[in-house]
Amino acid sequence: MSREERRSANGPPPFRGRLFLLLVVLAYGVLLRHDASAALLALRRGGLLLFRLLPVFAAVILLIALVNWLLRPQQIVRWLGRESGVRGWLLALLAGVISHGPMYAWYPMISDLRERGGRDGLVVVFLFARCIKVPLLPLMVDSFGLRFTLVLGLYILAGSLVQGWLMERLQR
Amino acid sequence: MKKKEQQNMPAGQRAGMVEPRPPFLLVLKRSSRMFLSMAPLLVGIMGLVGLVQTLVTPEMLALLFRGRPVTDTLVGTLAGAAATGNPVVSYLLGGELLQQGISLYAVTAFVLSWVTLGVIQLPMEAEMFGLRFMLLRNLLALGGTILVAVLTAFTMQVLS
Repeated sequence: MSREERRSANGPPPFRGRLFLLLVVLAYGVLLRHDASAALLALRRGGLLLFRLLPVFAAVILLIALVNWLLRPQQIVRWLGRESGVRGWLLALLAGVISHGPMYAWYPMISDLRERGGRDGLVVVFLFARCIKVPLLPLMVDSFGLRFTLVLGLYILAGSLVQGWLMERLQR
Repeated sequence: MKKKEQQNMPAGQRAGMVEPRPPFLLVLKRSSRMFLSMAPLLVGIMGLVGLVQTLVTPEMLALLFRGRPVTDTLVGTLAGAAATGNPVVSYLLGGELLQQGISLYAVTAFVLSWVTLGVIQLPMEAEMFGLRFMLLRNLLALGGTILVAVLTAFTMQVLS
């Protein structure tokens, strides 16, 4: 490992989205002036969400590290890059279906994979396939019935692939 | 072979060699640092989710539906995109809307867009993947949501 790499691994991280955070803080400030109880309730809800998502974030960090440690850039390109073929599409579908937590929790990992040669079409497939929530399937069956759940699931899988294919066409 | 000897080798010869794997802890540290660099974005998103969950209640969303299948499908898509929270809420609300006589087209679009579209996370998506990717991805998801909702509801009608 070069000295530069070592320095970048130890120094303070280059924060992204500071302006966005500032705007959200300002929105809270405005709400606090007009309706303090609503602002405090919103803050409590946001805080609880952060607390609830900490294990998901930890899992995503671990997964990013494992992928980077186990797979060399050439392997990532082979599995998720231009030459990934059917294996890449199926992998993106499966990953989307079994992934847990909100979409934005996965953005850092997706960003990392894209920088290493991952295809945009597969990202689109992954993000749309997340409509199928395996742990929530019983609840969906209870609310809408088994037939509806199956039909919707099949269309989501097909729709994910079509969108991924369209994304690849549009990116050319 | 010693590291110094490898560095002195010609580039062509070096290219064929497999680089040693760095220690896992170092890779973990680098990944944590990369994730931490997105902390302002993530904290901002969660702050925004808290705000929207407080200011936009499920009851307010239910009031948007008028009982007209075509406009309700569009309303369902947009309402689901603007809403945030656990998808369980969308299932429960969707079940209630169906009982109120709202079309399956609208309810399916609502449930789907709740998960796949997110107005709140657009700034983060643009920051991380670029404006062009964010626009294309969300336009495709918008079209896909409406199409999947229409096909699902239509198939259910045919099957029943």
